[in-house]
Amino acid sequence: MFESILNWIMANPYEVAALLLVPAIPLLFFNILPLLVVMERRGAAFIQDRPGPNRAGIWIPILNIRLRAFGMIYNACDFVKLAVKERFDPKFATSFGYYAAGPFIPLLVALILPAFIPMFAPIWYQSSSGSLAALAGTTISTHSGLLALFAFSSLSIYGLVLGSWASNSKFALLGGMRASAMMISYEVSIGLAAAGMFLIVGSFDLAKIATWQGAHTWGIVAQPVGFVLFTVAMFAECNRTPFDVVEGDSELVAGFHTEYGAMRFMLVMSAEYFHVIVASALISTLFLGSYHLSPIPLPLGHDGAMVDLDDRWMRANLGGVCAFMLAVGAIGAAAFAWLIHGRRVHYNRSGASDAAMRSKEYLLYIGAIGGAAVAMAIGAFLVAGWRPQPATLIGGVPLWGGLVDVVTAVAQFHVLVGKILLVSWLFVWVRWTVPRFRYDQIMALGWKVLLNIALINLLITAIIVKLVH
Amino acid sequence: MAKVIPRPDLGVWERLYIGEIFKGLMTTFGHAAKSLTNPAHFPTLLYPEQQPDIPRDHRSRHRLMKRADGSPRCVACYMCSTACPARCINIVAEESPDKHIEKRPVRFEIDLLLCVFCGYCVEACPCDAIRMDTKLAVLVGGDRAGFVIDKKGLMDWEPKDYPASDTQSQKAPGGSLNAKALEELKSGSDH
Repeated sequence: MFESILNWIMANPYEVAALLLVPAIPLLFFNILPLLVVMERRGAAFIQDRPGPNRAGIWIPILNIRLRAFGMIYNACDFVKLAVKERFDPKFATSFGYYAAGPFIPLLVALILPAFIPMFAPIWYQSSSGSLAALAGTTISTHSGLLALFAFSSLSIYGLVLGSWASNSKFALLGGMRASAMMISYEVSIGLAAAGMFLIVGSFDLAKIATWQGAHTWGIVAQPVGFVLFTVAMFAECNRTPFDVVEGDSELVAGFHTEYGAMRFMLVMSAEYFHVIVASALISTLFLGSYHLSPIPLPLGHDGAMVDLDDRWMRANLGGVCAFMLAVGAIGAAAFAWLIHGRRVHYNRSGASDAAMRSKEYLLYIGAIGGAAVAMAIGAFLVAGWRPQPATLIGGVPLWGGLVDVVTAVAQFHVLVGKILLVSWLFVWVRWTVPRFRYDQIMALGWKVLLNIALINLLITAIIVKLVH
Repeated sequence: MAKVIPRPDLGVWERLYIGEIFKGLMTTFGHAAKSLTNPAHFPTLLYPEQQPDIPRDHRSRHRLMKRADGSPRCVACYMCSTACPARCINIVAEESPDKHIEKRPVRFEIDLLLCVFCGYCVEACPCDAIRMDTKLAVLVGGDRAGFVIDKKGLMDWEPKDYPASDTQSQKAPGGSLNAKALEELKSGSDH
């Protein structure tokens, strides 16, 4: 029995990989969340000319160092605090389960969404029956793709409205009502802004849209107006500043989650941040070339409209691509270590009472990050010359074999995560730049401006697509 | 007469909004980049570790000056508690064993929650026994009683925390002028 299972695993490695990826992809996405929280807190602080939360640390007794890890420890502290805090039900909240169910719905919905987003190019392989098969980069690959994603993402609003209504508080109810109004106004613009890409690609499938961008060009080049509209509408969809009237802390206490505390509050906040990650992933996938590295497709024998040239180029020059990515990482890490060195020098000069202890701590960071930079630089030199050849060619589709497939998938996933982090920074950056719109201004912008521009953009795109074909 | 503030006249470019948002983004990015690269750029202070630069004449928590032998310079004359507008100084006097000095404080308490930090007590003191130059930026206490500071607390300071030019502080025990001051005290010239 055991041996037969083992034999099946050995014979079908790609099928096993596909099975493992189903739970792995949402979990991998979830790992970006603490990074985003730190980015939000420290980014806000840096924009406002202050150091930000930098106190919480883990005491390391032998070295006598308080390891603060750039504010990362606050995530653990927040989790412990909110998890062990007393669960509090307001007396006036609806006693039936609606109040408790409210915060769960947005998080559950948000956890489903990454399943639709392709993490890497489809990997072609020969199945045990001898036929050609593809391992998709998504957990759920359907032809309805983005439509299904939008359908699920709209469900999260039910959680907000349900929770705010069940709270029986006027502030929460106003927040929930605003949330539903925002959803109705901006969902239209989101769909119409993305519709340009559907017309050009001819499919709702996110994997197809990603492949098209590898074969032709990034969506932002093909649909620049669509990109701006989609990004603005996504800010509204995520209830982020300047469209955060749903929370509206200066008017509505905390909006729809006024009556939620402890772990329920954390669920609400996690869902909010997870929505930002998913929105960043969607913007990256639709308009910023998804997992593709090069913004222009590379000439490599154009044989058919939907051949992912960027993906083929990456596989053929895998050593060079990996060397480039490692070099970028090494330069980034070296710059980071240099910045920490600057902090260390400055803090030593400041005459603070704990300068000696912090000096040691900074030295530890410089050693770790500088070491990582050196390791990445050495790795870049080692892999630079690797130019793999396809193992076999079946029906004009090159099959590359296990190692190349794994390395390419990991590299493409990192490209996508890099783009997600950059777009997430845009969310943070805009939040601390643009003040909140008034409610009527938001409605005016959504219905009178965005919708009209999206319609005109769609019309022009449709005419051009019709003329080209 | 009401003052009319006219709304700013926005041009087409401002009303398009997107360009103005971009200008704002550049401003905030400039601040973020400066904060990231130059730690000296922060106007903030990492407080308990880094102490603020307090000016010389800043009035903060009081201290009682000490003679070379460690006894308080205070002669319990009640000048400070009489001058005090907040009535926060409570002195109990007793007879001094020293024949040159009439009285000395057996209790000297200041309620810092009542104190208005006006400095009248320092001005009123005839023998420079009370000062407000401890440069403590923040006063901390767990309860009301914790803010009532007694004679021991008022005299709990070290000459090394005060500059060498501060002669009176340096004459206190442990100070750089202590030995000389002790000799003068024994000869009975400095009271």
